[in-house]
Amino acid sequence: MSEENKWKYGFFLGCVAPNRYPMIESSIRAVFDHLGAEILELEGASCCPAPGVFRAFHIPTWLVIAARNITIAEELGVDIITGCNGCYGTLRDAWIELEHEPELKKMVNEHLAKIGRQFKGSIEPKHIVQALYQDMGLDYLRGFVKHKFKDLKVAVHYGCHIIKPSDKRPWGGECEDPTFLDEIVEITGAKSIDYVDKLMCCGAGGAVRTAVKEVSADFSREKLKNMRDAGADIIVDCCPFCHLQLDLGQMEANSIYKDMIGEPYKIPVVYLTQLLGLSFGIDPNLLGLIKNHDLKGVTPFIPIESFLEKVKSQLT
Amino acid sequence: MTEPIVETKQSENKEWEPKIIAFLCNWCSYAGADLAGVSRIQYPPNIRIVRVPCSGRINAYFIIKSLTDGWDGVLISGCHPGDCHYISGNLVARRRFAILKELLEFFGIEPGRVNFMWASAAEGERFAVLVRKATEIVKKLGPNTKFEKKW
Amino acid sequence: MTETDKKIEIMGNEKPRIGIYVCHCGVNIGGVVSVPDLVEYAKTLPDVTVGREYKFFCSDVGQKMIKEDIEAGLINRVVVAACSPRMHEPTFRIACKEAGLNQFLFEMANIREHSTWVHMKDTEGAYEVAKDHIRLAIAKARELAPLAVQKVKVEPTTLIIGAGITGMNSALNLSAAGYKVYLVERSATIGGHMAQLDKTFPTMDCSSCILTPKMSEISRDKNIELLTYSEVEEVTGYVGNFEVTIKKKPHYVDQEKCNGCGICVDSCPISVGNEFELGLATRKAIYVPFPQAVPSEYTIDMDSCVVCGICARESVCEPLAINYDDKPEYITVDIGTIIVATGYDEYDPSGLKQYGYGKYDNVITGLQMERLLSSFGPVIGKPVKPSDLKDPHSIAFLQCVGSRNFREGGNKYCSRVCCMYATKQARQYKEKHPEADIYIFYMDIRAFGKGYEEFYESAARDYGINYVRGRIAEVRENPLNHNIIIRSEDTLLQQPIEVEVELFVLSAAIEPRADSDSITTLLRIQKSADGFFLEAHPKLRPVDTLTEGIFIAGVSQGPKDIPDSVAQAKAAAASAIALMAKGEVEIEPFFAVIHADRCSGCGMCIENCAYGAIEYVDDRRFGTIASVNVALCKGCGACSGNCRSSAIDIIGFSSEQLHSMITKRQ
Repeated sequence: MSEENKWKYGFFLGCVAPNRYPMIESSIRAVFDHLGAEILELEGASCCPAPGVFRAFHIPTWLVIAARNITIAEELGVDIITGCNGCYGTLRDAWIELEHEPELKKMVNEHLAKIGRQFKGSIEPKHIVQALYQDMGLDYLRGFVKHKFKDLKVAVHYGCHIIKPSDKRPWGGECEDPTFLDEIVEITGAKSIDYVDKLMCCGAGGAVRTAVKEVSADFSREKLKNMRDAGADIIVDCCPFCHLQLDLGQMEANSIYKDMIGEPYKIPVVYLTQLLGLSFGIDPNLLGLIKNHDLKGVTPFIPIESFLEKVKSQLT
Repeated sequence: MTEPIVETKQSENKEWEPKIIAFLCNWCSYAGADLAGVSRIQYPPNIRIVRVPCSGRINAYFIIKSLTDGWDGVLISGCHPGDCHYISGNLVARRRFAILKELLEFFGIEPGRVNFMWASAAEGERFAVLVRKATEIVKKLGPNTKFEKKW
Repeated sequence: MTETDKKIEIMGNEKPRIGIYVCHCGVNIGGVVSVPDLVEYAKTLPDVTVGREYKFFCSDVGQKMIKEDIEAGLINRVVVAACSPRMHEPTFRIACKEAGLNQFLFEMANIREHSTWVHMKDTEGAYEVAKDHIRLAIAKARELAPLAVQKVKVEPTTLIIGAGITGMNSALNLSAAGYKVYLVERSATIGGHMAQLDKTFPTMDCSSCILTPKMSEISRDKNIELLTYSEVEEVTGYVGNFEVTIKKKPHYVDQEKCNGCGICVDSCPISVGNEFELGLATRKAIYVPFPQAVPSEYTIDMDSCVVCGICARESVCEPLAINYDDKPEYITVDIGTIIVATGYDEYDPSGLKQYGYGKYDNVITGLQMERLLSSFGPVIGKPVKPSDLKDPHSIAFLQCVGSRNFREGGNKYCSRVCCMYATKQARQYKEKHPEADIYIFYMDIRAFGKGYEEFYESAARDYGINYVRGRIAEVRENPLNHNIIIRSEDTLLQQPIEVEVELFVLSAAIEPRADSDSITTLLRIQKSADGFFLEAHPKLRPVDTLTEGIFIAGVSQGPKDIPDSVAQAKAAAASAIALMAKGEVEIEPFFAVIHADRCSGCGMCIENCAYGAIEYVDDRRFGTIASVNVALCKGCGACSGNCRSSAIDIIGFSSEQLHSMITKRQ
């Protein structure tokens, strides 16, 4: 398959990935580069801002800051890709709302004019999953698969903002029974298993993690129980915040609810592009899968050695 | 039989409001306007309704005469294509109006003064929405001073 | 309506003397605009000799005022400014006629639906609109001419489309009154959805027990020509004089020869889903829809048949009744009135993924539950779980599936019968299985009819059915036993609940037939916003359509239960009888007329006429010109809309009348 630079995207980093899970950012860059897409930096991008907390406090401020981030990509003339459900939720919802409400657009542009910017609505904010599934397509991706897993059971976690609100997402209104992420995962040969309450929220967003940590840990605990009951080997997600909640949160759930859960959970949490990258034959160092330091209290918190064992035995 | 020639009375302090003559087909649009009334859907008081059996009844001359007689706008509304009570009257009307539109523009009549729309007997809300739209368009064009025949 | 010998002679050139009557319509008009001011204004217009106001001109007192002015010779034109002419034009025309004035010298100004009701807060605006509408009506009134009604004979025959409980009842009423009926049904049997029901609420009558006698009556009735497995292909003409073409679909079985032995069914190797059993059972490619079908005829479903030839063998079909070369037959009949009783489709809940229909075995719809409960259904009246065919120990019903749904593509209306049928089904099951746990999840229980509330109370109190007020959020399946685990909120207890049941029944909505557009196109009737056929007036004319001579009845007009369907069936029959009883009907004489001296014979009008009512003739004075066949003309005006020579005009909506309304605004 030829690797022309037919796709150009502005990469919106967000906050959680660069600050806490840099391997997610690294794996996204590695995979998109491998697939022949050109990644441009969005200089000066800020926090998206968060679709739960920020939007709940003051919608106009949320809109203006989101619009500002979008204008950075507009100036470069490229669509935005982001690897975070939250950033995707904010940028996309803001983009659609401003397109449909001329009064809001006017208000936003009045503020942006003060810093010499104008929101035009000329580019589309996309999730990396959207870019992979719709812009490139499964057939194109399959062409890059070098190694296939023989027996890997994956508990796929969609998260929330990538599929809802369904009328502002590109999945044809589907939010009760989506399959696109499972399909991408399965091109690697892994099996996406069904588990109870698959579409349940991880518990991080909407300030739940910040304000009532034990409630968010309860969410993770329930999800992990269902995943373990279904026999999952690993968890695959497409959002750094969900990733955090299922990784660091797994440790927290083990601790806070240790009397309830019996055997502590140790299901490795893997980001989508990390899994894809392995299957494409990309160097695992570039995917952030090899620990190259001795620091304590650094991500990932749940050891991924068991996963790497499977990788060694099944993929080489 | 003569009619007194009456002058346009306009209060000094009131904003000019367009007067639009609306030809509504009896089976669909007139019924739709009735439904808007029954449902108490409000729209601005700028149209004056003339009932015709079918949108196909409207001869181009009625439209032009409306403009030369000083109406600011003309609205013709019939059944949706395919639903005409008289089978194809509205299709005949649609073809006629497609050509008439070009001719009117050629005369120098601003596009937007003459509006064609389709509303069924069940579409009270749609009728009101389309009337509001047409009223706004005509209002923006201003009073019809160019074509009113001066006696 | 009284006939009168009084006739006021109107000469063509007599000066119009217009009486204007402005109605208060209670406070509908009088509460928004000043009626006295409108009367005063109207009296300033030329040719207006009398101006009056009254609270309700449509009342006897109001009409008397108008009649007295006519009889006193004060007026020879009447204009009433009130509601929509679609409401009371007939009322006032009759009043004029009774006072001796030609009924077509009457015009109405719509100052209610088109003014005071749509500009309620803007009283000044409403007043301006009312003034202008009055002025326009008076302008047209000046140009009105006396006309004679056209009387056309009415064929004393009715076409009924659809032979469910509604169509059947109309047919029997019409036959009893002595009229011939063509009862056309597109499936191979009559009975409709009611044949699929087991018991009917609130009396728990067995549906078949009340339906099948009617079905036999229909088959025996001498006045009713029953055309099953047939469809209406084309309808032309107008009230009293419709010409209808009916396609009789081929059965591929010669009914004269067939002796009903049924060996063909046993021998047929092809099994397909049984539509009557809603997919819960199979049938063969050659079949009778259900045992009590009327007529009891065998049909080959050619879409599924592979023409193996087994049923045609003499060893199988001794009378040699199979005919693979059977062709459709077309008949054309003269019809006076038409009744549409085409029924409904059940909503398909597969799109609501959260309820698992089509995904989990033990999720079924209300009609499917009905088939399970039916004594001649796939399980002979003992409902079982589809997953393992065992009796369920617990059942949950969910109401409003597909109804009361304001999302894109949902049905906003209430389907009216589901609260009652779920209660009925729950009670039926409880009667046989008193220990079973039954839940009905609802938003509101609608038990509005006679005996309905008592039925529901008894279900909750005496039968112990659990009514849980809450929408079910989602369900999932217990993989071990295929039970359905329900997640809902009990809103009265304000608690989330989780319930595991063995069978889950979705009370699915009633929807208009998927192909109802074929009827609207065929008959030129309209649909309302919810997709059911549109009635002429929701309160006063619920079974009439806007087209004279065509009536609608039953669920095709909107969701309703059996008592209301039967009531509408009888109403439609009575309305059809009223039309046909006099033997003739009056038609508005609004036709096209040709001014021969202006016609250039270009033929534009001929091309535009959808009814073929215009043709060329040789006029000895003007050569080849157009001529109108009044019998075919509908007065739509498509011809005159295009005429370059102003040669063709429409009586009742003439150029002069329309121009008089357009000219010189104030």
